Amino acid sequence: MNWFRRVLALYRPYLGWMALGTLLALLALLANVGLMALSGWFITAMGLAGIGGAAINYFTPAAIIRGLAMARSAGRYGERILTHEATFRLIARLRVWLFGHIEPLAPAGLHGLHSGDLLSRIQKDVDRLDALYLRILLPIVVAVLALLVFAVFAAAYSTKIAAAVLSLLLIGGVALPLWALRRARGPGLAQVRLSAELRTRVIDGVQGLAELINASADARYAEEIARLSDAWLAAQDDLNRISSLNTAALGLLAGLGIWAVLLLGIPLLQAQLLSGPQLSMLALFALASFEAVAPLPLALQLWSETGAAARRLFEITDQASVTREPAHPRPLPATNELRLEGVALRYPGSRANALTGIDLNLPQGSRSLLLGDSGAGKSSLVNLLLRFWDPSEGRVLLGGCDLRQLDSADLRSRISVVSQHTHLFNASIRANLLLAAPQASQAQLERACRAARIHDFISAQPQGYDTWLGETGVKVSGGQARRIAIARALLKDAPILILDEPTEGLDNQTVDELCHTLDEVMHGRTVLVISHRALPLHGITQTITLSEGRLVASIAQANQPLAQ
Amino acid sequence: MKPDDNQQLKDWLKAQRPYAARGLKLAALLGALGGILAVAQAWGIAKVIDGAVFKQQDLHALLPWLWALLPILLVRFLAAWGAERQAVRGALAVKRAIRAQLFDRIRGLGPIGLADERSGTIASSLLEGVEGLEPYFARYLPAASLVGMVPMVIALAVLPADWLSAVVLLVTAPLIPVFMILIGRRAERVNQRQWQQLARMGGHFLDVLQGLTTLKLFNASRRELDQIARVSDDFRRSTMSVLRVAFLTSAVLEFFAAISIAIIAVLIGFRLLDGEMAFLYGLFVLLLAPEFYLPLRNLGVQNHARMEAIGAAENIVRLLDREPLLPGAAATGAIPPAGDIRFEQVVFAYEPGRSALNGLDLHIAHGAHVALVGRSGSGKSTVANLLLRFVTPQQGRVLLDGQPIDTFDHAAWQAAVAWIPQRPRLFAATVADNIRLGRPDASDDAVYEAARRAQALDFIERLPDGLATRVGEGGRGLSGGQTQRLAVARALLRDCPLVVLDEPTAHLDPASQARVQSALDELAKGRTVLTIAHRLETIRQVSQIIVLDQGAVVEQGSFAELSKRGGHFSALLRDTGELVA
Repeated sequence: MNWFRRVLALYRPYLGWMALGTLLALLALLANVGLMALSGWFITAMGLAGIGGAAINYFTPAAIIRGLAMARSAGRYGERILTHEATFRLIARLRVWLFGHIEPLAPAGLHGLHSGDLLSRIQKDVDRLDALYLRILLPIVVAVLALLVFAVFAAAYSTKIAAAVLSLLLIGGVALPLWALRRARGPGLAQVRLSAELRTRVIDGVQGLAELINASADARYAEEIARLSDAWLAAQDDLNRISSLNTAALGLLAGLGIWAVLLLGIPLLQAQLLSGPQLSMLALFALASFEAVAPLPLALQLWSETGAAARRLFEITDQASVTREPAHPRPLPATNELRLEGVALRYPGSRANALTGIDLNLPQGSRSLLLGDSGAGKSSLVNLLLRFWDPSEGRVLLGGCDLRQLDSADLRSRISVVSQHTHLFNASIRANLLLAAPQASQAQLERACRAARIHDFISAQPQGYDTWLGETGVKVSGGQARRIAIARALLKDAPILILDEPTEGLDNQTVDELCHTLDEVMHGRTVLVISHRALPLHGITQTITLSEGRLVASIAQANQPLAQ
Repeated sequence: MKPDDNQQLKDWLKAQRPYAARGLKLAALLGALGGILAVAQAWGIAKVIDGAVFKQQDLHALLPWLWALLPILLVRFLAAWGAERQAVRGALAVKRAIRAQLFDRIRGLGPIGLADERSGTIASSLLEGVEGLEPYFARYLPAASLVGMVPMVIALAVLPADWLSAVVLLVTAPLIPVFMILIGRRAERVNQRQWQQLARMGGHFLDVLQGLTTLKLFNASRRELDQIARVSDDFRRSTMSVLRVAFLTSAVLEFFAAISIAIIAVLIGFRLLDGEMAFLYGLFVLLLAPEFYLPLRNLGVQNHARMEAIGAAENIVRLLDREPLLPGAAATGAIPPAGDIRFEQVVFAYEPGRSALNGLDLHIAHGAHVALVGRSGSGKSTVANLLLRFVTPQQGRVLLDGQPIDTFDHAAWQAAVAWIPQRPRLFAATVADNIRLGRPDASDDAVYEAARRAQALDFIERLPDGLATRVGEGGRGLSGGQTQRLAVARALLRDCPLVVLDEPTAHLDPASQARVQSALDELAKGRTVLTIAHRLETIRQVSQIIVLDQGAVVEQGSFAELSKRGGHFSALLRDTGELVA
């Protein structure tokens, strides 16, 4: 129930739309029930008048019947447009809200989350929340209001009939759905979980298909997918068994409603407490009134699914960010010297420190090379410098100022990063470059791309800078992707440059060419190069070696070219 | 989308019906039974009201009629329940079958066939796409089968009771399908656009989430937030344009139904007033009128489901229509023997005009350790792809011991070749299960031993749960070097006679490079090894080096021989600055 209040709070800006849609829905429903009831009254009254020869005003009811028919159609149309429009606005708001909450968590807080699963959560779970208003809240509010109107209307003729019809409506609209809700809880949760798991598996399987096929594990993997799919279908089957029983039972209850009206109404008719037209009217009213509760079983069944989806979303957004922004950030210091003082870092749930007792100074304008084996703590060090994590002990300083006192956006505006993990988005090359500098002119883009030695390649493409990059940059080679990333970093034009394994995954020829480019790029910047092997870079001023989270060597070099 | 394609999609949907045939047949039968019972129910109710109001019968006299109504109501309830259950079970069978077909096709296309597909989009097709088919089989088809039957039953029942009302029903009934078709055509087009957009939105979100760190580094998250708002807003706009049409369709249908009931009620009323009609028949007809329109209206609502299914089918059919690159069943099923590998005049192009191999001749002796070198684009990776049978040559043959390799059973062939790529992938499972990938039945001891030989134990033992530690997508939590050592362990455990290495030590730091190299040396013992080398320093020890250029062999020999020859290899060494040592 807590999730419901939280979702509702998110919906606040659209409460007006929601209320208006509800009102129209109620009017359309009442018009239809009125049409059937009045028709029953009308033909019986006309029949009696025909036999008795009594005079009857037939123009008014005939006109009302036609009017109700039109009100019904128009009301339905207007209601649907209004409620769906409101719903989609809610979805957009939710997406933005969710992204806004996930973004501060990256990359530290999302460590254990599979991105396929994360996508599933955002897309499917947010979509599920659209059900909250349209298929849960709206039908329930409309049904409650309609049932009140029905009760008053029927009670005006006979409290017994009113009580009987209302009981049947409540059985169909509340008791049965609540039973169904309890039954649906298990399969509802299973459905959400299984579909998310299936998506993760499919994405994993597609991206790792080569290795699956080579290991002859693809058939086994397909079975795994089939098993998940079957389990998902079984959960859907369970849900349908419950929901279809409920729907069919509503038809039965509507029939029982008319039956009860007749059983109770005929003695009243004979006792002259009810007229013939009124009996027909109440009978048809009873039949038609079940339209009000028809959507309730679905509404209550979706409740558990929606609750599960909402809880999963809140589970992500409720994670505390591992770093906290200062309330009153200090202005950026004038210099760009980076310093680590007695820094240790231990990741939550980890037995050992990732970094221990690190003292390191990267003076302004220096070029430092950080060497270390895989797992030595190189990436952890970068995470600290970018303030994706805070140190467990010690301080990280920029120009003498603790990073925790700086606005992290300000901090990152000072640092450009080129790494093997730099992501190229599924967008045009231009859009990928503009990420770094949205206002950059074409001339600036070209200048950066020339410096990164990728302009000629881009120009040779039929669509030039509008060439689309495929999934994680699949249509360009590793070297070209890295060059685009370098151009992007150049466009950002930050005084500090971190090159995190800039040549990882590239063949030797490309490495040499790239290092040549990097020599130019590093000019005039504070540079930290991270690598597991020596690189043909010039002008390195100090070489630092990390091993098992500790600094083991720090050698100052006076403008010596490294390696060679 | 051309109309032809659309027709093709509709035909494809129809062709999937056999999977659901049983369910659909039973659903139609039960639906027809429901129609007949609706007539009986209306007659019973009309009889009771007529008796009470016009014949002044008391409750006692009418009780037999009231009792008779109860079993009718009950059987109608059971028929309605059964009909929906059967239809849904049919739809579930279709979904199961299509999902299996899709994943089979993904396997058949292989890594090369899928290179230009986005995994997020494929996942969308397999999940939402297939789910999108359900309403067509569970709701549209059953509704379509009832639309001819039930109204006909009701019209036949109304005709003897009141021919004028029967005429009103029969005249208005065809208007509904006519309007459906008129409005439906436009809606269909809009609907397809909306499905494409849903798939694109899914791809966009995965992309953004995977690139979240990059966005943060550029302080671009705020801009991306606006972008998400815009994409969602576009989606709302396009969805609303679909829904507006759908709502208009159903509003028109509902309007016809409601106004016809109003007309029938008024017409009956006036004839009753004039004494031209018995009340019993009048009420009977009025009660049946909504039942008459219900299946027609329902079809109008479900027609939207059909269009949605056509939209959903598009991505599915596009994938299923692609020609598989990987062979299905084997020609002989023979187990690959030990022997030499030969490429004879092999020609291969990934796409017309972009040839990777131009009549390549290659010989790898049984048990030899061979390295392939060459500039990027020289065809090295294509040789590996051919050996792994991810692609087949367009001309020429690849032979093992004189037999074309495509005559072997695919699984048996893969069991004979171990491949370690540059960037091995870890699946979302435990470390042990990742090592076991090619040999799911391997014992814990064997896994442990493989990990030990791959020099992977040192870091595995430092993981929170050792071999039982779960690794995430892409092996998150493990470094590149650690992932590679697991891949070596994987290959060691598989124990294949032929090993293809895409320079797995390329990205390791010197220390673990040495460790992995020694493990690889052990793996190489008694096996034929083909190494795709990007860095020449790693192949000094290899006895035979083959140099490729523009898809053909230009030189071969030992490191020492080739570096002295002054040919392509020497040029490569010079360019990469590795001649120093």
